Amino acid sequence: MQDQFQGRKYVIQGLFIVTTAILLLKAVQLQLIDTSLREQASANVIQKINKYPSRGLVYDRNEKLMVNNKAIYDLMVTYDQVKDIDTTKFCQLLGISREVFIKKLNPNFASRRYSKSKPFVFLKKISSETYARFQESLYEFPGFFVELRNVRGYAFNTGSHVLGYIGEVNEKHLKKDPYYQSGDYIGISGVEFAYEEYLRGVRGVDYVLRDNLGRIVGSYEKGERDTASVSGKDLISSLDLDLQMYGEELLQNKRGGIVAIEPSSGEILAMVSMPSYDPNLLTIGRGRGDAYTTLARDSLKPLFNRAIGAQYPPGSIFKPVMALVALQEGVTEVNRPISCRGGYIYKTLRIGCHGHPTAMNVSQAIQHSCNAYFCQIFRDVVDKNGFSRASQGLDVWTDHLYHFGLGKRLGSDVPNELTGNVPTSEDYDKMHRKGAWTSPYIVSLGIGQGELLITPLQMANISATIANKGYYYSPHLVKSFKNDTTQIPLKYRTKHFTKIDTSHFRPVIDGMEDVVLAGTARIAQIPGIKVCGKTGTAENPHGADHSVFIAFAPKDNPKIAIAVFVENGGYGSRYAGPISSLMIEKYLNGEISDARKYLEERMKNANLNK
Amino acid sequence: MTTSRRGESNTADVDWMTISIYLGLVLTGWLMIYAVGYRGEENSSLFDMGTRHGSQLVWIGVSITVGFVIMLIDGKMFRTFGYPIYIIACLFLLYVLVAGRVIAGSQSWFDLGFFRFQPSEVAKFATCLALATFLGPYNANLQTFRNRAIAIGIILLPMGLILLQGDAGSALVFSSLLIVLYREGMPPPLYILMFTMIILTVMALMFDSTFPIILGLTLVASGILVNALRTNRPKIIFFSFAVAALAVYNIYPEYELYVLGTTGLVFLILLIQKLRSKRRQLAILLTVGLVFGSGYTTVVNYAFYKVLKPHQQDRILVWLRPSKVDPLGALYNVTWSKRAIGSGGLTGKGFLDGNITKLNYVPEQVTDFIFCTVGEEQGFVGAFAIIMLFLLLLLRVLFIAERQRSKFTRIYAYGVASILFFHLLVNVGMTMGIMPVIGIPLPFISYGGSSLMAFTVLVAVLLRLDSDRLSVFR
Repeated sequence: MQDQFQGRKYVIQGLFIVTTAILLLKAVQLQLIDTSLREQASANVIQKINKYPSRGLVYDRNEKLMVNNKAIYDLMVTYDQVKDIDTTKFCQLLGISREVFIKKLNPNFASRRYSKSKPFVFLKKISSETYARFQESLYEFPGFFVELRNVRGYAFNTGSHVLGYIGEVNEKHLKKDPYYQSGDYIGISGVEFAYEEYLRGVRGVDYVLRDNLGRIVGSYEKGERDTASVSGKDLISSLDLDLQMYGEELLQNKRGGIVAIEPSSGEILAMVSMPSYDPNLLTIGRGRGDAYTTLARDSLKPLFNRAIGAQYPPGSIFKPVMALVALQEGVTEVNRPISCRGGYIYKTLRIGCHGHPTAMNVSQAIQHSCNAYFCQIFRDVVDKNGFSRASQGLDVWTDHLYHFGLGKRLGSDVPNELTGNVPTSEDYDKMHRKGAWTSPYIVSLGIGQGELLITPLQMANISATIANKGYYYSPHLVKSFKNDTTQIPLKYRTKHFTKIDTSHFRPVIDGMEDVVLAGTARIAQIPGIKVCGKTGTAENPHGADHSVFIAFAPKDNPKIAIAVFVENGGYGSRYAGPISSLMIEKYLNGEISDARKYLEERMKNANLNK
Repeated sequence: MTTSRRGESNTADVDWMTISIYLGLVLTGWLMIYAVGYRGEENSSLFDMGTRHGSQLVWIGVSITVGFVIMLIDGKMFRTFGYPIYIIACLFLLYVLVAGRVIAGSQSWFDLGFFRFQPSEVAKFATCLALATFLGPYNANLQTFRNRAIAIGIILLPMGLILLQGDAGSALVFSSLLIVLYREGMPPPLYILMFTMIILTVMALMFDSTFPIILGLTLVASGILVNALRTNRPKIIFFSFAVAALAVYNIYPEYELYVLGTTGLVFLILLIQKLRSKRRQLAILLTVGLVFGSGYTTVVNYAFYKVLKPHQQDRILVWLRPSKVDPLGALYNVTWSKRAIGSGGLTGKGFLDGNITKLNYVPEQVTDFIFCTVGEEQGFVGAFAIIMLFLLLLLRVLFIAERQRSKFTRIYAYGVASILFFHLLVNVGMTMGIMPVIGIPLPFISYGGSSLMAFTVLVAVLLRLDSDRLSVFR
């Protein structure tokens, strides 16, 4: 049989083989080379749903709830799953315009942050009310789902600086700690920041399978990979809610700060910084940005926590420390009288003092706040090794101050604590010339002026240290964790000792008691309570002097140590002293005696912000 | 050869290899349909008629029975009744046009109450038989225009009727029968022309304007002219020019007119030079080709983008320019189909563990997109096996075709191979995004009794005819 076209069978065979090869090559490309398809597929079919833990609550030391959680909702969307939805109804339910809808649904897909096959946030911070309406129709909108978030609510308008606020994580947080994912909330300031790891809990994840309409059809691998979320620990803070609110009331319409510490534990009972703001303003929600901007622009700086961020020359409240250092260094004796001729006079140098009887001993020097006395004993310390060896003496002094927690961070859990400033011999070497300065140059340090700068927290800590007769705990805002055996960090259970012998404290404390009983701060007397205090008037080159007071009480077995700072308040006894005593009375007695109500009124009504 | 090896019986064994491949593919298909429908252990009864895999199992039984019956029929019947079967099939096609049921947009279903079937499936078989009947006689050939026209007409008649039903996919299947005509002597230039037209069409659709195509064609034509020169230097110069022109065009698309103008000038210079020489034919041919090609692509491009409606454009754009198509609209099937296959990796997710397949992400999963399940659950290993099994079947059918002494059987066999080939290429190709999505099933594997039955008949008749190969000369 003749078949002249038989050769063509090879062409046809070749066609079949080549075509099959092309199909196989395509399969190789799809299945073996191109892994992006695999990722897209699993991203869309298996979906990760975050289960956000509820953030730990914050209580005051008497377990009154200060910070609670409010539900808020983030609406998520997976672009690829959005199909046939009634946009008019959708927009109406959420109260957004069509333009917003289109814009939100089409973020910049070119950026790595967004993918059409992965869920992203469509609308953040939907209130519970809006959610309640929307939720009924959620099933009509394939591709959309809701994640429950917790934001903060505050039962009382108080302690905003201390409690801090939470916000969304930024790039830095994400880089620093792999736990966080974009969109997570994190403590930005205050307790929220300091105890973030305790409060945040552990995020849980559900892996679910979704069908083509975005409906959840089951769990992936029977839920074996799912993890439960663990709620954050509830924190019992050291704050006394009543005292905190009372302090804010007393300091209203003034600029300044109050720090009250329990000496025996270092727990911060109150930390007031005025002016302040309503913590509910900065809770996560719509409109927070505007509130923040307004606060940030306020000339009174309400966002600024003066208790740890303001540094002032301490003035006379430094004198008890000066006395302790001099006694410890053996350059003076308890019963050493030093005459005061209306001030400290050395050659042409003159530091004025006010009229008072001659200080016959350290106690009286403190009682009358004699400048001449403390200038003298300061010089005695600095000139310990000889007049020409001032730097050696100053180093000794500096070292003592460090051990009082001055010139360094106290290691408290209040974020952004400043160090204050304790000048060193190197500083003066730089300022003058090495060896070219002597004790008279720097004598004002002895009375808390000059280059010495202290924060209100450090002042309160000095008070607590004296009350403890020589040691302090780093001040902290946490007392314990509710229903949890977790201990507070070790550093808040560790005593820091000064280099002063316990015996030297007696005359100093006696002197501080006399300040209140018969000295510069008689106004701070509280019937039935032995209060030890010291006034201070910090010089202010920009205006009226600052009114300062430190105190602790009761004298035996002190329960509270306090520092009050009122900017432009004048003498320490004018505002800071009375406020301190009111705070102490409030804390120890729970209320203010009728005899002192007038003082309370006067303090509350004083307005220094005019 | 005049006597059979078995003496009195003039029948050879049936081709068990083909039957094995057939059974293998059918079984695989059934397992895949089962996998798609699988929703957990509680409702996994294998033989539940209410489920797809249950009903498919029944169809497999029926198909094998029918195939068995065909093996018992005298092979002469198919030779004798080739035309009547073809005519009846065409009448069916006409009938559904008038009274058929519309399913999925095309009026191609014939409802018999207990089951529905597509006459187009019958038409494939009938057309193969008709072609074999027409070209089968010893003296029939494709050397005359009349015979060529008739042969093409036999293909075009059912194709046209099916196209009228709105089932473009099934209609296109018939074009594969041109392979049969090629084997039987249809002149190659026809195929070259067709191939060129297809390429030009595809290119015309791939660009917004036909500028780059015309530029390319001009460069190619000029290149051919230069290549015909004896000396080498102009070749190098022209090569440099071509590279420069393409570079400029790519970097500064706004200068396209200048680039094209310069290229056209170069072509003209070469052309004039060539026309002066003795071998004018080439020059004239190239000029005609260039003008025709440019004109044709421009017309196609214009017609496609300006005349066709967007949803009609989409079907082609999904294939050629997926970036221009809405990923949630027309591209949805293909995107998910590719993801399903891609997610299978080398060894797949395991039988019954393909979650994309299960969660209805790929529409028409059990019918046209069944290959996704293979790709997802069995991975590349599975895809490779299926494709290779098909290749084996195709080559086996070609082998069977070539061992016939009967021209009738050979032509029929080529018809079978061509149709299977087309289905394989387009179906598997479309699930992987290299072919346009035209809804045609994967033979033996896709869900659907009508299609399984039709392919079974197609193959069974081939085996029946093949088993007569020792006794038939015609």
